[in-house]
Formats: sequence, C-alpha cells, structure tokens
Amino acid sequence: MPKKKVIETRKLGRVFKNGEIQVHALTGIDITIEEGEFVALMGSSGSGKSTLLHILGCLDQPTSGEYYLDGVHVNKLNKNQLADIRNQKIGFIFQSYNLLSRTTALENVELPLVYDRTGRFSNSKELARKALEQVGLGDRTHHKTNELSGGQQQRVAIARALVNDPSLILSDEATGNLDSKASIDIADLFVRLNNEGKTILMITHEPEIAQFAKRMIYLRDGKVLTDELIKNRSTKESALKDLESTT
Amino acid sequence: MKQLLKTFKVAFQSIYKNRTRSLLTALGIIIGVAAVIMTISAGEGATQEVQSQISGLGTNLLMISTKTEHRAGIDVRMGRPVDEKDFDILQKNSVWMSKLSPLVANGVRAIGPQGNKSTTIYGVSSDYFDILSREIISGDIFTEEDVKAARKVCVIGETIKRELFAGSDPVGRQIRINKVPFTIVGLLKEEGKGTMGQDQDDMLIAPYTTILNRLYGRRRGYNMIMASAISEDHIEDAEIEATELLRESHRILEGEEDDFEVTTQIELQEITGNVTGILTLILGAIASISLIVGGIGIMNIMLVSVTERTREIGTRLAIGARESDILTQFLIEAIVLSLAGGILGIILGVIGNQIIYEATDFYIPTAVNSILIGFGFSVLVGVVFGYFPARKAARLNPIDALRYE
Repeated sequence: MPKKKVIETRKLGRVFKNGEIQVHALTGIDITIEEGEFVALMGSSGSGKSTLLHILGCLDQPTSGEYYLDGVHVNKLNKNQLADIRNQKIGFIFQSYNLLSRTTALENVELPLVYDRTGRFSNSKELARKALEQVGLGDRTHHKTNELSGGQQQRVAIARALVNDPSLILSDEATGNLDSKASIDIADLFVRLNNEGKTILMITHEPEIAQFAKRMIYLRDGKVLTDELIKNRSTKESALKDLESTT
Repeated sequence: MKQLLKTFKVAFQSIYKNRTRSLLTALGIIIGVAAVIMTISAGEGATQEVQSQISGLGTNLLMISTKTEHRAGIDVRMGRPVDEKDFDILQKNSVWMSKLSPLVANGVRAIGPQGNKSTTIYGVSSDYFDILSREIISGDIFTEEDVKAARKVCVIGETIKRELFAGSDPVGRQIRINKVPFTIVGLLKEEGKGTMGQDQDDMLIAPYTTILNRLYGRRRGYNMIMASAISEDHIEDAEIEATELLRESHRILEGEEDDFEVTTQIELQEITGNVTGILTLILGAIASISLIVGGIGIMNIMLVSVTERTREIGTRLAIGARESDILTQFLIEAIVLSLAGGILGIILGVIGNQIIYEATDFYIPTAVNSILIGFGFSVLVGVVFGYFPARKAARLNPIDALRYE
C-alpha cells in the first residue's frame, strides 16, 4: 500500500510584481512528499526556497500551479479555510522564533489551541506541557520568552509547532540564529520527532544540518535542481565529533 | 461563541502582559478627557460668573459720563465733563429717572486708629445708596442736609473697618482722609468681589459737595452722573430723555455728535454678551487644542506599537488565527482601554474641578457636554487608531505581516 502523500505540487509557480518588474521566484515546481519523510530543502539565497516553504505552509499563495496538502486542494480555499489548515495541519517554525514577548513558554505553546475550532483538544494546558517536555523544556514552562536562550526559544517554537498534532512540520532555517552546538541539538530533535512519525520539511543553508535529513531537495533559480536521498545521515554523535575535529 | 470567549481572554491577557503600553494608551485618553472636561467647565463657570455679577449690578441703572475714546491704549476724554449744571437740568426735568446722584471718585490715603491705607473715596448724593442698592448695617447714610452743608461725614466699607479699626464698630468715630478728619456715620453691608475682581468693600462714601469743596478745592465736573430709571421697562425712555436733556444743556446742534455717553445695563449686558462670547471662543479653542493634543497622544502610542503588533498579528495568523479572531481581539483591547481611560479621565476631570474650586473659590460646575465631548472624542480616537491599523495588518498575507518593519 503506497504511503499517504502529505505534499503534492504540480507546476507550482510564484511571481512577485514590483511595479513594472516581474520576478519569477518559483517556476514549475513538482514535489511530492510522503508521510514520515524528513526532507532538507537547500539552495543559495534567492533560490526561492523560502518562498516555496511559505506557500507550502499556506502563509503565501502561488500564482500558478496546484498544491495539495493532505489531499486538500489548497488553491481553492478561502482565507478562513487557509487559517484553519494552518491551525490544524501545519506546524511552522521560523528562523526568528516569532514567539509572543512577555508571555510564558507554556502560553506561547498553547496559542495554536486557542484558535482551534474543531474542539478536538480538551485540555490545552496539559497538551502544551507535554509538547514542552517533548522538546526537553519541561522545567521551563513558566519562564517568559525573554528569559530563555536562543536555543530554548527555538525549542518553545518547535513545541508550539507540535502541539496541534500537525500532519506536516515546516522549518524555515530554524538553526539560522543558533550556534553550532544548539543547531545540532535542534537537528537531533527533528530526527527524534521524525522517528516518532512526524513529516518534516526543513530549510537550511548548512550542509552539516541537512545531513540529518533522509532526503535533500536543492533549488536553484526557482527550479528543483536535484532531489535525492541522503546516504550517510549524520547523528548527534557524529556531528559533535565533526564539530570537535574542526575546532 | 466559545471562540469569542477565548478571544476575550486573549485580549485581556494582552492588555495585562503589555501593561506599559496599555497604561500609556489609556493615559493619552485619560489626559485628553480630563483636559477637555476641565477647560470646557472652566469656560462655562467663568461665563456664568460674569453674567451673574453683571445682573447683580441692578438693571435699571444709567451712567452718564464724558465721552471717551480709546486711543493708543488709553482712554481720552473727548468732551467737557458732566457737571453741576447737567445734574440740575436732569434733576429738574426728568420724568423717567427717579433717583440721581453725581459721582466723583478719587484715590486717597485714609488713616484710622489702627493704621492707614490707600483707598478710593466716592463723592455722591444720598440717593446713590438707592441707585446701587447698597445697604447699611450699622449707623445710617448721610442726609441731604449733610450734602447741602458739605459736612465732613462718610460711610465706610467692611475692608476699611477691618484694616483701620481692627474690626470694631467705627460708627461715630473719626477717620482722617488726606489729613482732613471725617466722622463715620455708617457702615456698608459687605458686597465681596466685583465683576472685574475689585474689592467692593474697600471704599469710602462721602457727600460729593464735601469732596469737591473740602478735599480738592473747587474742582469742575463730575466723573459721572448715576441715575436709576423709574422701572426696568423704562430704561430706554430714560436713556433717550437723558441724552436729549444733555444735548440741550451742552448746546449740541442737530447732526453733531454727543460729547457724553449714556451707558445703561442693556448695553452692559450686550458687552457682557460680547465678552462671554469671546471667552467661550477662546475656551473652545483651548478645548480643541486639548482634544487634538490628547488625540495625537493616543494616535502616537497606537502607531508606535503597530510594528510590534503587526508581527504579533503575523504570528497569530501563521499559527491559524482567522482575520476575525484578530479583529475581535484588537477591537476588545481598544474598547476596554478607551473606556477605562475615558472613565478615569472623567473622574480626574471632576476631581480637578473640585480642587480648583477649593483652592480658588471659583465655582466650576462640571459641564455635562464637556464630559460627552471629551469622552466621545477620546474613545473614538482610541478605538479607531487601535482597530484600523490592526485591520490593515490582519488583511495581509501572514508572511507579509511577519516581515513588516
């Protein structure tokens, strides 16, 4: 039995209009990602990887082509339906965390459940606490975001992306603002979540982080350049060893 | 419905977590409302005060004086002063005026047993007390006999009694006015401050004949002639009559201008109308400025927080908030802060009025329209500037809201 397709795009394109100038950020993207995959999305800056991730995360709309998320034709949805999709099916992680300031870790993680209209979650505080335990911050639940380190803040953001039990976790350079050690910790966390069955798509510009994934898609000039499986996957141990040998 | 309750919780949490921002927003509204209430109330209070004091002057009063013109900041006498001859003509021929009194006023130095002070002496006839309805609480007014004989008698005000007689009954005692001894025959009932803030009890009243003959030698002319019309209804008749009699007395030909002025209460009230009109205008302008300043304060804090809040809106949208969730949250926040600020502003304004009243005895009734204007405007500005930037942000693509700088 073939695995469920979480993401399927057909001839996906995105054109930005800036006055008279048209910029083709993405052209003819055909990608399929199945349940349980762990994909690294790479490419130089301007290659369109962030634009693609934003479209896949329903934060932005394509100008051409079709996008199916969990079998739902996303192009046909209105704003409210898109909001509900983001709420129920997607966990998005940003490079700059985008946590609410002056707010505790627990309240930040709880936030997606505030906007849940399905009523499928009964005890949102308990779920938020569990998500924080999952990312190793069980003892930081009542710390405010500004009292946490960068790595810890990103873990809070990951817990927030997990709390609504999404079909897909999207990460936009989650390790971009972190030091090497914290980056490896986050990558290792992704591996564990993937082992627990989460489908993950992460953007990174660091090859050593990409090596944690199972598959790598490389974009150039808004098109898919390569799409291949990763043979020698890194583990936390091997990555830390490499880190020591280079410093 | 359940979602609305959750949004209420989010809004109140947001207000509480961003206490400084909330406080500053509310402060703009508090100050705006309080400033408007206090300025408008002060304006209305002043207007009422001026009106009541002027109507207290007696509405059938006529004042006949030399014509003056305002030139380069000073009043210049244009004609000959009104004098004894004018007074006799008016007294003999008048039908519409019941009481008449000359008035000569001069600054003098008065010396009593307990001290001395400079004050004003008014030389009048005994009718003066009726014309201005001034009452005597001790002793009596001087008589027509006193006036005819130019006796050195006088009536004094409460302030003179307090300062020169240490508060003891001065009737029958002596007072030296510019070194001339006068006998005090009566004490005026206390009147308080006049329309222009002058002390109406800091005065001496003596027969005009005495002042002209004994204090200043023979001075020509009076400061004015005061008269009362037989009734308020005939004040205009009295005015016309006085004008005609004096034109005759001054031999003014037809077509020439009067060299005197007849001022009546009606004109005074017109002047009051003008004065209070100007007062209202100025205070309206000040109130508008307070409104604008308050409004700009509110706008500022709202607009300054737009960057931070747009990112917050982006975050909320990215994790699945609908546009309506955001709008409801921001509307609740804006309404709560504006109402709370508005109510505190009203309280502050009313307390402010009370403090001014206690400190200055200037009664300021808190004007209801000032509360409505101040509260309405500030809450409107608060809600509009809280809501519309949020609406703009909530309509963006989530990614554009997140990138906003």
